[in-house]
Amino acid sequence: MSEPRASVPAADLLARIARGDHEAFREFYDAYASLAFGLIRRILRDREAAEEVLQEVFWQIWCDAAAFDPRRGGPEAWLVMRAKTRAIDKLRSIRRREQTFVASVDEGAAPGADPRADDPAVAAADRTLVEGALARLPDPQRRVIELAFFGGLTQSEIAARLREPIGTVKTRARLGLERLRGILADREPTAR
Amino acid sequence: MNRDEIMELAAGYALGSLERADRVRFEALLEAGDPAAVAGLREFQSTVVAVAEDVREAPSADVRRALMARIAAEGGDAERVMRPAPAAVTALRTARSSRIWPVIWAGAMAAGLAAIAVGLGVSASYERRIAELSREAGALREELGRQQSVVAILRDPATQVVGLAGQSASPEARARMLWHATAGGIFVAAGLPPAPPGKAYQLWAIAGQNPPVSAGVFTVDARGTGSLHVPPLPGIARVDVFAVTLEPAGGLPAPSGAMYLVGKA
Repeated sequence: MSEPRASVPAADLLARIARGDHEAFREFYDAYASLAFGLIRRILRDREAAEEVLQEVFWQIWCDAAAFDPRRGGPEAWLVMRAKTRAIDKLRSIRRREQTFVASVDEGAAPGADPRADDPAVAAADRTLVEGALARLPDPQRRVIELAFFGGLTQSEIAARLREPIGTVKTRARLGLERLRGILADREPTAR
Repeated sequence: MNRDEIMELAAGYALGSLERADRVRFEALLEAGDPAAVAGLREFQSTVVAVAEDVREAPSADVRRALMARIAAEGGDAERVMRPAPAAVTALRTARSSRIWPVIWAGAMAAGLAAIAVGLGVSASYERRIAELSREAGALREELGRQQSVVAILRDPATQVVGLAGQSASPEARARMLWHATAGGIFVAAGLPPAPPGKAYQLWAIAGQNPPVSAGVFTVDARGTGSLHVPPLPGIARVDVFAVTLEPAGGLPAPSGAMYLVGKA
């Protein structure tokens, strides 16, 4: 796993951003924009929409850096969750806007097409997300992690989607993340 | 709560997938400094960040430029406003070693400056928040306006529904145009191949024997779906044919590329 690329710890940068420090914001952006953007792109796919969301995510950070609470995790994780949430919101709004008309266009066409194809979670699970370490997880664990992380579903929504008990979903999320950690640790020497 | 349960909550929290009740429970553990919750979260969050690291991708330089310009224009006051405070405090400390009146004056001025700085700082922070809310309200109003015009088009019996069929370049493609001569239209296409870099699809309206008139340019997502809100076309009371061609990304005044979709009104 690669290290944060800022020369100053990210938490310090956020503290300075909260005080309106432009230089700290530039440094934070340069270090972490690609981290957030890669994730947003995987969720939205459309580059233009992803760049729009990226700008909103960092604008929110500029306005709201004081909301960062180190008791609830590290700054990179804070950024990643904000990027993920915004991207999922955007995807849902795009889908809502298109749904009425796309559904009518699709009527009678594409036999066998999945009727849930407009759902971000289905899109998340179906698209080629199985890159890198995720691809090495057993399918049931990978699916839970993808639906949660890239599809924005809660654990009970995942349980309903997969027709599994919620306890199974919770366990798979934990086991999947533990396994991912092992996979990432194994390849650490060759990481970026 | 046993350790396994705490680790399951930590995993769900790191993935952002906990139900509200579980999230509240886990945040209470974090706030209480529960060692298993804190360690579990740190471990899983670093894994989640590593998954995101796996797909790092550089955005275009335009995003950075736009963001910095936005900050300079709308949020740039806080830094200048907040800075006098430490200087004022230093001035106060230096004054302590000299005579009493300068100390009192320096104290009063420092307190005044600090109060102004804090007041302006708070004010700048509220102004940023208000600007942000006002932007969100603007975006929602814009979206509402779009939705209202869509509903108006759908409700009007004068609205025509035109089906477009895929041509040899994309036999699987299909599209529908809901067209109203004075209100404009809504065009939705599905099954189109993604436009190559530097290219986009262009929708044309053809009235009688007149040359095609551009009705807009659109792209499609990875599933081949694209849509376009078409404004009324000046001087065109009735459209006979809608067609889609592949053109350079900004569109052209007249069609030049292969035809992908066509439909008669």
